[in-house]
Amino acid sequence: MHHSYLDKYADGDSFFHCLDSRVKFLAAVAFSAFVLLSGPKAIAVLFCFAVGPFAVLIWADIPLSFVFRRILAVCPFVLILALSGPFYDRLPENVAVGPYVFSLAGGWLRCISILGKFTVTMMTLFALVCTTRFADLLAGLEKMRLPQVLIIQLGMLYRYLFVLMDRVHHILRARSTRKLRNLGFRRETEIAAAMAGSLFIRSIETSQKIHIAMQARGFCGQFHSMRTMEITRRDIFFIAGVIIFLGLIQWGVKPFMGGAFL
Amino acid sequence: MHMANELISIPVSGVTIGAAAASLGLICSRIRRELVSEKIALMGVLGAFVFAAQMVNFQLPLMPGTSGHLIGAVFLATILGPNLAVIVLSSVVIIQCLLFQDGGLLALGCNIINIAIVPSYVGYFVYRAIAGDRKNKTRLLAAAVVACVLAAEAGSVLVVVEATVSRVLLVPVGTFLATMAGVHLLVGAMEGVITVAILSYLTTVRPDLMEGITADGILSRKAAIISLVIITIITAAGFSLLACGKPDGLEWSYLERPDRPDFKPLIVNEDMRIKAADEFHGKIALMPDYSARGASEEHPVSAGWTSLAGIVGSAVCMGIIWLFAKLLRPAKPATK
Repeated sequence: MHHSYLDKYADGDSFFHCLDSRVKFLAAVAFSAFVLLSGPKAIAVLFCFAVGPFAVLIWADIPLSFVFRRILAVCPFVLILALSGPFYDRLPENVAVGPYVFSLAGGWLRCISILGKFTVTMMTLFALVCTTRFADLLAGLEKMRLPQVLIIQLGMLYRYLFVLMDRVHHILRARSTRKLRNLGFRRETEIAAAMAGSLFIRSIETSQKIHIAMQARGFCGQFHSMRTMEITRRDIFFIAGVIIFLGLIQWGVKPFMGGAFL
Repeated sequence: MHMANELISIPVSGVTIGAAAASLGLICSRIRRELVSEKIALMGVLGAFVFAAQMVNFQLPLMPGTSGHLIGAVFLATILGPNLAVIVLSSVVIIQCLLFQDGGLLALGCNIINIAIVPSYVGYFVYRAIAGDRKNKTRLLAAAVVACVLAAEAGSVLVVVEATVSRVLLVPVGTFLATMAGVHLLVGAMEGVITVAILSYLTTVRPDLMEGITADGILSRKAAIISLVIITIITAAGFSLLACGKPDGLEWSYLERPDRPDFKPLIVNEDMRIKAADEFHGKIALMPDYSARGASEEHPVSAGWTSLAGIVGSAVCMGIIWLFAKLLRPAKPATK
């Protein structure tokens, strides 16, 4: 498995790919926070919020089908909790869409609102991750004073994630070619434990080899990087854009939306 | 188990991110001194191991079609000690959020606390308290199972606490707590079984690796006290939520009874309690939107038009952006 399997779109060269990773990270956090600040039954305003990440994703040339397939894959837990809403709040509320006014249970409004916020904040996260290489994101986080131990740990984890995933794919393939039926819980557990255990032993051995290699290259507890990070005019332009967009929705659009209903 | 952004409110998110950052910072500064390159490599690879081991699935009994897998908190905590396990698991949670989009950016604090910090410490101290300094194999294995169950339960109770304090969900605390605790009892038991199986596999195959874990049982009394304190605090939090479930459910008090699905609520929108609930929402949601909402109730049609305009406008906006991007982008080379 190639290491860029997960963030295969992060290597682009669009306007958003070239921004400073700190700026993008903070913008994504602020944007998510503003989305969550809209009321528990707000729906219409979420459409306006969605324009932001949508624009970034489109301009950065990231296929929306990829984004939405991944969002669908991670939604089950939220979906279950959101769908419990209609069971507990059946109080009808008036919903006005253009000339039509109809009533819908409050629980459904909440449910739709939760799922809408989930989609918008997930799109924001994708807009961040798909335009930023993981190494850049880590460098940005390090500049933002995250503990260096954690940064090194994240970097090492990312580096060896794909190595071990390849290994586990080999092990799983070996099992599926040899095991042709369900062997009962006890035996299945033993097999799984042996697989995980042998993977663990191999991981430890790998880490010892890495340690020897690090020592051979004179590792002294510090990682050095040639990268210089600085805020350019492009970043200031982006920050201004985000502030104007959020301000416009928060104080320009939201008050007219009625906050609560469609 | 991974919380999404939408299940917590901004204040809860801020507090949990602060708490997670503070404890991670503390742990990092504590282990920084003793961290040699061997440990750095070991932690990095074991983080990757957690991901890989989670892909090793096995059939669950009684439930055809479902499969369980290792989560790894207690396993790592028993092998690495709680501090290193917290760092490894936190990095796993962060990567899950950033690369696999599992759990939201603002819920990262919650997830680090629920999945990394609390299970590691609870699991480690419970394991230590039960296993003691004996080299009795059954006792060690029993310790692993109990530690896994309690660690999973502690995490699940915290999910309920965070979601309830946020007041985003409508599910009554009791139901939510019972469901989460029940599901995580199963999850914890499965985790215990697979952890025990792996530990016993490792003791037979590589006893030299496992020696360090079973040998030093010096802090067992201290461990017993600390684990008791942690479990008591978490249980107390769960029970206090249950106890104040009724006043807490201000907004459910006017709702229909969940046990009678065909019960038609007679209360209409003018009810005082709804006004109170709305006012309450206005307070906790930081955005006092209830005045605007009142306006929309008086003029539902005009509010309808503005929101329709908002939706249509957004859609048109997205369409224009898409069109421009399509027109302005240089033609792609055919190789792809």
